[in-house]
Amino acid sequence: MSRAFQPLTIPASAGIGLRSPHISEMLSRRPSAGWLEVHAENYMGDGAGVEALERLRQIYPLSVHGVGLSLGSARGVDRDHLERLRKVCERFQPDLVSEHLAWSVADGAYLNDLLPLRYDEEALAKVARNVETVQDTLKRQVLIENLSAYIAFADSSMNEAEFLVELVARTGCGLLLDVNNVQVSAHNLQFNAKTFIDALPAASIGEIHLAGHAINQVGADTVLIDDHGSRVPPVVWALYQHAIERLGPRPTLIEWDTDVPVLDVLLGEAMWADMLTASIMFSRKQAARGQQTTHARATPICLSVEGETTTSMPVLAAFAAARAARPSTPLALPSLEEEYHAAA
Amino acid sequence: MLPLEHLQTSLARSVLAMEPPIAATLLTAGKADPLARLRIYQNNTRSSLTAVLMAVFPVTVRLVDERFFRYAASEFIRRHPPAESRLARYGAGFPRFLKSIDTLSDMPIVAETARLEWAIAEALDAAWLPPRSLGDYENIELGTSPDVLVQPSLRLIVSHWSILSVWSAHQQGAEADRHSAWARRAERVALWRAGDSIRLVQLDRANFAFLHSLKHGLGLEHAISRALALDPSFDLVSALVRLFGDGLVTDVRIPIHPLAN
Repeated sequence: MSRAFQPLTIPASAGIGLRSPHISEMLSRRPSAGWLEVHAENYMGDGAGVEALERLRQIYPLSVHGVGLSLGSARGVDRDHLERLRKVCERFQPDLVSEHLAWSVADGAYLNDLLPLRYDEEALAKVARNVETVQDTLKRQVLIENLSAYIAFADSSMNEAEFLVELVARTGCGLLLDVNNVQVSAHNLQFNAKTFIDALPAASIGEIHLAGHAINQVGADTVLIDDHGSRVPPVVWALYQHAIERLGPRPTLIEWDTDVPVLDVLLGEAMWADMLTASIMFSRKQAARGQQTTHARATPICLSVEGETTTSMPVLAAFAAARAARPSTPLALPSLEEEYHAAA
Repeated sequence: MLPLEHLQTSLARSVLAMEPPIAATLLTAGKADPLARLRIYQNNTRSSLTAVLMAVFPVTVRLVDERFFRYAASEFIRRHPPAESRLARYGAGFPRFLKSIDTLSDMPIVAETARLEWAIAEALDAAWLPPRSLGDYENIELGTSPDVLVQPSLRLIVSHWSILSVWSAHQQGAEADRHSAWARRAERVALWRAGDSIRLVQLDRANFAFLHSLKHGLGLEHAISRALALDPSFDLVSALVRLFGDGLVTDVRIPIHPLAN
């Protein structure tokens, strides 16, 4: 059954990933949450969750995030699955649709995990063709998300960021910047996280993901596991701050998939993201004003990152990250300020 | 250099542990051992799909204990990985797989209970249509053999074993005794989705056949004759009142092409 929903635009502020334990509370309490994101594959049937999402869609702007299209599969995307995704989009009329730069289907098996590509011309041609097929079918732009990875391929001829830049140029797709994924991959594969973010075309980034990760010690190897099972850690808040300083406010999603906490914890994390963004934009505005006047201003109190990690309070982490990395020289970026006011 | 498709096939087989790991020289992992990192993908696939199966078959888990279930699940995943990413459809073949495990040959109730749990999972993913009441048809001429359409989530299961008794004994609040609750006793079960929960009822042969005919679109007349053949005292009025009362009827109409018996 398809109904017409009022278009609800996803704001450049924080939203939460809708998880089944929270659905009834979302419906009864209708808490203030900027927007919701759901995994497309959970809404391809006709169960009670689908009926609940139809009700929530009337209240909250919606993003549909695919996890099973396997855009990186050499054999192309599964047309039946793509048709199911099209029906989900037709049914819920989301404002954003996204998928991953990854593959999860090969040899007739779905691995239920997102595997990295060998970044080369062959893969680029295939992924670009797959993305075009998806955009043509859905009749809309899709956002493509960077991956968290534990391995890479020795024969790659480019890195993931270069691959994404070229993919945007060839297909006109947008990007979903998963800041936690950048941190996880950068640590595991030994590259610079900020350089990765800076290499992406800012105008194409239509959404950001934030999540927690686990830190596993396997022998001498300290590996970050992208488990979406904890609060956003300070290191990811700091990277988010770097991204927001460069990009300005963007729709930002709090993801939490394992050991899902009570709803208020998710809403709290979303609030911290909004506060951090507001703090960055406020500082930027002050800095721009400071450039125009010669008056000396008081320096804000600077908390050390080490200090607040012991409190486990994300709000402190967020503020400290914002303050610690405050630009030493004022930056004037009027176009980003305009975006912020439009979103506020 | 391997073509992309071959590379992905070999890596997928490594992840599913169907074949020896892919050549380490093809991979990098910073300063770490790439094959050790490959095990993260193997663990992710096995543990996430095991979690899917444990969520679908919670009573089966308790019947065999969790460690054995995890072993059986990992074997099932390795031999029969999902063919598609819609995981609500994964697990259809698991009851049959359990039946083929030698260790479980003296506990047929395990695979049979899994069959019931799979039916529940299917029902939970099926649509719920607004039910019709008997009053809706008071002044409508439906002919002698109307079609009675039932909820799409209706599932009918018959077993030689006491599957519903076992399943009920393991629900919240029930005192579960995993060794004494099962017996060789035929049970016929109808189940369907009501909101976000499932309703299960045990039926006699006649009522089971009656619902079976309706579910398969064979029409009311066929359903009545099947029920009466099994039990001459079959009470049609009670059956119809219960059918409407349970919200199972979604439409009653004159068939366009009446089906022959």
